[in-house]
Amino acid sequence: MQDTTKAEDEFKDLTFEQALEQLEETVRAMEAGELSLNETTALFEKGMRLANFCGDLLSKAELKITQIQTAYGESQPEPAEPDPF
Amino acid sequence: MAVYSVSEVARYLTEILREDPVLQNVWVQGEVGNLTRSAAGHSYFSLRDGSATLRCVMFRGGGVGADLIEEGGAVIAHGRIALYEPRGDLQLIADIVQPEGVGELQLKLEELKLRLEKEGLFEPSRKRPLPRFPVRVGVVTSPTGSVWHDIQNVTTRRYPAVELVLAPALVQGQEAVGTIVAAFDALERLNDIDVVIVARGGGSLEDLWPFNEEDVARAIFKSKTPVVSAIGHETDYSIADLVADVRAPTPSAAAELVMPDQAELLAGIGMHRRSLDSIIMGRLEGARWELDALRPRLHRGLPDFDTLRLRIDDMMRTTAGHLRGTMQVAGERVNGLRGKLESLSPSDTLSRGYAIVHSGSRVVISSSQVGDGDLIGVTVADGDFKAHVTGNAPRPATRRRTKSRKPPTSGQASMDLFND
Repeated sequence: MQDTTKAEDEFKDLTFEQALEQLEETVRAMEAGELSLNETTALFEKGMRLANFCGDLLSKAELKITQIQTAYGESQPEPAEPDPF
Repeated sequence: MAVYSVSEVARYLTEILREDPVLQNVWVQGEVGNLTRSAAGHSYFSLRDGSATLRCVMFRGGGVGADLIEEGGAVIAHGRIALYEPRGDLQLIADIVQPEGVGELQLKLEELKLRLEKEGLFEPSRKRPLPRFPVRVGVVTSPTGSVWHDIQNVTTRRYPAVELVLAPALVQGQEAVGTIVAAFDALERLNDIDVVIVARGGGSLEDLWPFNEEDVARAIFKSKTPVVSAIGHETDYSIADLVADVRAPTPSAAAELVMPDQAELLAGIGMHRRSLDSIIMGRLEGARWELDALRPRLHRGLPDFDTLRLRIDDMMRTTAGHLRGTMQVAGERVNGLRGKLESLSPSDTLSRGYAIVHSGSRVVISSSQVGDGDLIGVTVADGDFKAHVTGNAPRPATRRRTKSRKPPTSGQASMDLFND
C-alpha cells in the first residue's frame, strides 16, 4: 500500500496514457539490456511503481458525467448525475 | 445587324445555360432509350416521355446510379443541361440516376451526398484516428433517450476512467438541426474534448433526416476533435456518418470504439509487470553467473593458500624439531650437572660412611676445636647423636679459624668418634 501511495505522488501529474507510455519505455529500456545492474534495478522499481499507478487509475476510476449548456432549450433536464468530485 | 459565327452562337448558348439556376441543378424523370456504353465507361442514353426526348450522358465516375440505367427503365436523373457544341445537341450531363418512385427526401439526400462528396467532405484522407486513451468524451445526443443510457453503460463497463461530457440536442424534428449544430459548437468551445460521439437510435428516413442536413454535415466537418457517428441502424447511412471520422453501426458500438477496454489494459499492465520481473531476474541470474565465472580467475591471481599452509606447517615442524634437539641437549647437560651436584652433596658423602661433627653451632674440622670432655654432636647419614671428646689436648682458641681449610689431621679424634 505504501508503494502505491508513493506511486500516486510520483506520477500524479501524468495522464494514464503518459504513465502507460513510460511503463512501456521502461520495459523496452530494460529489454535492451545495455544498462548496468544498478540502473536496471532502478528501472525495475520505477516500472513496478508505474504499473501500480496505471492499474490503480483504471480500477479505482469512477465514471464522471457532466452536462453542458447548449441551445437544447427549456426541456433540458437536470444534470444526469452529480459530479463525484 | 450583327452576323455571328456558329461557334459564337454555341458559346453564347453555353453561357446562358450555365447562368440558369434551374438548368444547372435539375431533376428529370423519363424512360431510358438508345442506351450505349462506351469503351471508356461512359453511358449515353435518352430520356423520353410521350412527347419529348432529352439526350443524356453519365460519365464514368461522374456520379451515382449508372448501374440503374437500363433500356426502357423508368428513372429520375439529376444533372445540368449543357450544349454539346460539336454536334449542336442539348444534353443532360447526369450525376445521379435513381429509379422512378423514389421519394423526394431520398433524391435530396443523393444530391447533397454527391455535392458534399465532390467538395471533399467524405475524403478518406481527412479521417482522423481516434485518441487511444480519451480523457473527456463529448456526446451529442438526446439526454432522455436510450442512446445516452447505452453509451453510459458501455463506458462504465469498459473504461470508467473517462469523463463523459453530454451536449444535449434534439435528434428529431424541425429544431433538431439547430440544436445539433449548437451542441457541436459548445463542445468545440470547451477546447479540451478528445473525441465526440454523435448518436441517435434507429428510425425512418424522416426521423433521421436532421443527420442528412448540410448544416449538421458541416458542423461535423469543421469539428477540431475526431467525431464518431452512430445514426440509426446498421443499414442506415446518413450524411453525418459519411462526414464523421469513424462510423459506428450503433451507439453502443460507438462507445466501444471510443473507449479502450479496461480489462485488456489491465492484462497489458500485468504483462508489463511480468516482463519487468523476468528481465530483472534474468539480469540478476546473469550477474551471479558472471561472478561465478570470475571467482576462479580471482583465485588464480592470488597466492595459493593451501600450498602456503603446507609450507607453514613444514616450517613449524622443522622448527619444532630444532627446538626439541636443543632442549634435549640442554636436558642432558642439566642431568650431567645434576649428577655432579649430587656427587658433591654432603648427604651423599655421609652415606659413604663419613660424619659431620658439630661443636655448639660450628662444624668441627680441626682437633684443636675441641678438648677432652666437650660434648659434641655427630651427624651421620640417617641421624644425629651426641658424644664426649676423650684423649684430646686442650684447644688453643686462637688458631681455630686459620686452620679451618686444612684437612682434618687428628686421626685419633676421629677414631674415638667412631668407637663411641
